[in-house]
Amino acid sequence: MIESVFLGLSVASILLLIALGLAITYGAMGIINMAHGELLMIGAYCAVLTRIHLGFDMFMALPVAFVMAGATGALIEVFIVRRLYNRLLDTLLATWGVAIVLQQAIRLEFGLVFFGIHIPGLGSGLQNTGIPQVLQGSWQVAGTNLPIFRTFVIGIALIMFAVTWWIYYRTSLGTQLRAIARNAKMAAACGVNVKRINTIAFSYGAGLAGMAGVLLSGFESVKPDMGSSFVINGFLVVVTGGVSSLFGTLFASGLLGEARAVLAIIYNDVLAQAAVFAGVILIILVRPSGLFSPKQR
Amino acid sequence: MTDMLSQQNFERLAYVAFIAFIFSMPLFLDEFGLNRFSKYLVYGMLGIAISLAWGYAGILNLGQGLFFGIGAYAMAFSLKLAASSTAGGKTPIPDFMVVNAEPNAIPELSSITTGSWIWVPFQSQWFGVAMALAVPAILAGLIAYTLGRSRVSGVYVAIITLALVLLVRLIVIDQQQVTSGFNGLTDLAWFNLFGLELDPYAKSTYLIIAFALTIVLLIARWLVSTRAGLVLQGIRDNEVRARYLGYSVVSYQIFFFVVSAMIAGLAGVLYVVAAEFASPTFLDIAFSITMVVWAAVGGRASLLGACIGAIGLNFIGATLSETESLMNAWQLIIGLIFIVVVLWLPRGLAGLASDLADRFVTRADDSKWNRFKSVKHTQSPANR
Repeated sequence: MIESVFLGLSVASILLLIALGLAITYGAMGIINMAHGELLMIGAYCAVLTRIHLGFDMFMALPVAFVMAGATGALIEVFIVRRLYNRLLDTLLATWGVAIVLQQAIRLEFGLVFFGIHIPGLGSGLQNTGIPQVLQGSWQVAGTNLPIFRTFVIGIALIMFAVTWWIYYRTSLGTQLRAIARNAKMAAACGVNVKRINTIAFSYGAGLAGMAGVLLSGFESVKPDMGSSFVINGFLVVVTGGVSSLFGTLFASGLLGEARAVLAIIYNDVLAQAAVFAGVILIILVRPSGLFSPKQR
Repeated sequence: MTDMLSQQNFERLAYVAFIAFIFSMPLFLDEFGLNRFSKYLVYGMLGIAISLAWGYAGILNLGQGLFFGIGAYAMAFSLKLAASSTAGGKTPIPDFMVVNAEPNAIPELSSITTGSWIWVPFQSQWFGVAMALAVPAILAGLIAYTLGRSRVSGVYVAIITLALVLLVRLIVIDQQQVTSGFNGLTDLAWFNLFGLELDPYAKSTYLIIAFALTIVLLIARWLVSTRAGLVLQGIRDNEVRARYLGYSVVSYQIFFFVVSAMIAGLAGVLYVVAAEFASPTFLDIAFSITMVVWAAVGGRASLLGACIGAIGLNFIGATLSETESLMNAWQLIIGLIFIVVVLWLPRGLAGLASDLADRFVTRADDSKWNRFKSVKHTQSPANR
């Protein structure tokens, strides 16, 4: 039982990293980014590629993935999302297009296959990154073996949550972002560079997804469509937790991750996932603004 | 000349041309091509369903595959039974149930596996058809009613419908002893339409599907032009105002959402008739969102546009996919087309066509058109 609760926590940690980015882009900026899962996929491929070509291990892959996914996110924001502010459903549709393009680009290895150039580690194959020696094995708590790698995943997620919280509530960047969330025009009138802040925030969320991808590559196979199921679950977390509430996101990712892990032992994995979907639908119907929502003014 | 090309006549002309086009396909295509094209017509029907819910009712349903899937499975239940033989009892037993049967279970539909009793009434194929329409209708009614009552906004509807289709997909995959799980239902019988066996590769089957599409298209077009349809578009454009004007916003939305779901259910039936299988892939999110892509490219607020968008994209896609390298490239192109359409052509190709037609009409007789417009405006300045 303790083992599966622990397993649930590590799943919840991945969810948390994804949902944090979504909470910022959706909650603060009013954008539904369906390509968020593909940013995770890019992070995972960074882990694979840097290991094959540069001999990096997972620790070094984390910042690389953060930068690569963040840069991709910035490009998406500047070229596509920026044109769609205040058109919420259209952002969903356009970023879905971006998601398809990114997936296919990786599958086609950026189209290089046409010129006979092949990059090892890229493509639709089922790669898996090796976990560094230090993180293999397990440690014991109350007679149960807890894998070190999963502990590492939980640790990274919590650290990144703390960093995000600090940026959001304790820096000038975060203050400006929250001002935009409240009233973008008023923020602009007060001298906030809305475009710049939005690009930075979007790119930061993308970077978090990239880190989640690196961590995920430790227990799942890396493939072009690995991210698509995560973006849905990430959204359910954000909606359950309450938009623009970071602690709500933290709580909801824990809740959903644990519910799935615990129900999976009682029934099976498929039914557990189904039960989580049903639960979230009920929560949205009863409390459309989520479990933790700030008072509306 | 100008009168003939007015906006309304242009639309009428487009409808007539489209219907003539789909009914003339048997002249150009062989059996195999005709069967493939009949599937595109079914997709066209899905395009109409999306356009009705999204373009007219303003409800973006990212789970339209749910209604399509239910329709397909209901039909497939019946056609599977028609193709099955008994396993020692009185009722026919589908082959996958024999494999999944519990030891010593009585080989009757009512008892062979847990939950298999659901199949019993599907021995009549018309029951299958009725369920394919009724279940989506009831489900859609319930969804629209609950969502309307709690007044959740557009995004939440999209997320909830998305979660719902995923939920049902997981259940279908999990309940293998009833639904055949991942494998889906294959080896189906032909639909028996009053003694006429609908061979999927026969010309008559294609014509029946084309006829069904025509009827659906015309009914949908008529519905949106009725008073209820106009009120609905008013709600889409400004929900609060419609509510203050005293319209029961929810009941209009429920009605059109239900109609859209029933069209999708019917599309499921026809797809199974033409393709001879039903599978959980119908419930994939990717499929549901792809339908939205078709409608967006064709024109979300144009029933015919969405329909043509679905048929056209599938036709081009299938033609390109005959070579494998192009198949993957086509997916990439679809993604790019979608981004371009959302960014620069929010009204889709139908919007583009209607703009071009407008311009053409204006050019053709500038003076008369302008005089007509100015007369109209002087008569009712208050409306401007």
